Amino acid sequence: MTHTLHRSGTKESLSIDYPILVIAAQSVNAKGSGPQFKKALEIILKHNPVNVGDMRTGNYFRKGLKPVLNSTKDNSIAHGVFTNKKDLEECLKELAEAKLGPSVVATGVFSEVWDSLNKIGLKPHSANISLGVWGKKELLPEQDILDITTMCGHHCVSPLLVKKMVSDVKRDKISIEEASRELAKPCVCGVFNTLRAEILLENLINKS
Amino acid sequence: MIIIESCVGCTKCVPYCPSSAISLGKDRKAHIDRHKCIECTVCFNNAGCPVNAFQLEELEFPRSVREVFATVYKAHKDTNVPGRGTEEMKTNDVTGRFRPGMVGFSCDMGRPGVGLELRDAEKLCMALAKHGVEFEPLNPLTSLMSDKKTGKLRDDVLGERVHSCIPEFTINEERFPEVLEALKKVSKEINTVFSLGLCVKINEDGSVPIMKYLDDNKIPYYPGGKTNIGIGVPLAKF
Repeated sequence: MTHTLHRSGTKESLSIDYPILVIAAQSVNAKGSGPQFKKALEIILKHNPVNVGDMRTGNYFRKGLKPVLNSTKDNSIAHGVFTNKKDLEECLKELAEAKLGPSVVATGVFSEVWDSLNKIGLKPHSANISLGVWGKKELLPEQDILDITTMCGHHCVSPLLVKKMVSDVKRDKISIEEASRELAKPCVCGVFNTLRAEILLENLINKS
Repeated sequence: MIIIESCVGCTKCVPYCPSSAISLGKDRKAHIDRHKCIECTVCFNNAGCPVNAFQLEELEFPRSVREVFATVYKAHKDTNVPGRGTEEMKTNDVTGRFRPGMVGFSCDMGRPGVGLELRDAEKLCMALAKHGVEFEPLNPLTSLMSDKKTGKLRDDVLGERVHSCIPEFTINEERFPEVLEALKKVSKEINTVFSLGLCVKINEDGSVPIMKYLDDNKIPYYPGGKTNIGIGVPLAKF
């Protein structure tokens, strides 16, 4: 389960992309942890996330906030997506101070995330590194489409839907913001970065 | 499935399918290609069919394995973890699963967006098993192996098409080059892609064990990745 690991894109594009997740270990500290995920989500919400969600319930754009906050379970995985280091740092600091129990994982350009951790007095514990895509790469969608669809690590955001959104925006049927929010809906976990998607969609529209 | 009598052929659902399994037939109705469909329910949950023509089916084995490897929010019966894999390094601060000197591999097969038949997962697992790799017992794919030593999957699931599945295993760091070479070889023999992830415990001085090897050998990796920030309670002793 590597759902925020393989986000493709340039270092610059990824510099506005900081998803975090909160998860308990089923063999160690999961029992009774359900309410802690609600507390974690409440902390995340204080720091301007562009998306939030719980893998057991769904994301903010499809389910709304209340069901996500009020349905946390012992095997929840809570998520929030930040678009700058300041919000990331303040959220991680508050999560660390809250000592909720579950583990916290921050995704982003390693040097940036580790710099943020250093600033708030935390040390990176373990790393998950992506060696990219191997195998029959000719089967992949175009790279600029993948930069959008890989923001849903489970790849529930379809390349065809990206193309449809580009077409709809070009024909003034919807705004870029609406297109980005529509793309965020199938990403159950709530790790799809809508701000980054808007920028990537705009690039695609300008290119086509 | 789509209730054909209800479908009005508006095509609204077509672009939502991550595996391009929905198309408009000659009858001007939307049809699902049963072989391509990976039972992810993205169409049912997100397309907003104006006439509610989508209906969920009770799936029988072996087709039900598609759902296991596609539906994100359902927790797996053996692990109680939602998704397609395990907790990996996400809880390493409290579980201590990946210890210094060890490297965890996750070969996220079919991803991004290509999918695979499970016979390709078997091919990769069997190639790795020849190198003495032991597969993570709590991973949903491992539970489909008829022989965990050889990586052989049950024959009745081989033709099933899934969105992605994740062979996972851990090795001693010194075996990293050998296993990477095995993966490189088998990557040319499969009819799909995989996204390769590595899990490691970061050293006390902040250095990351495997990164030096990757840099020295000019093996490319993404600038971004996941960092467990070590605030879980209770912390594992290393």
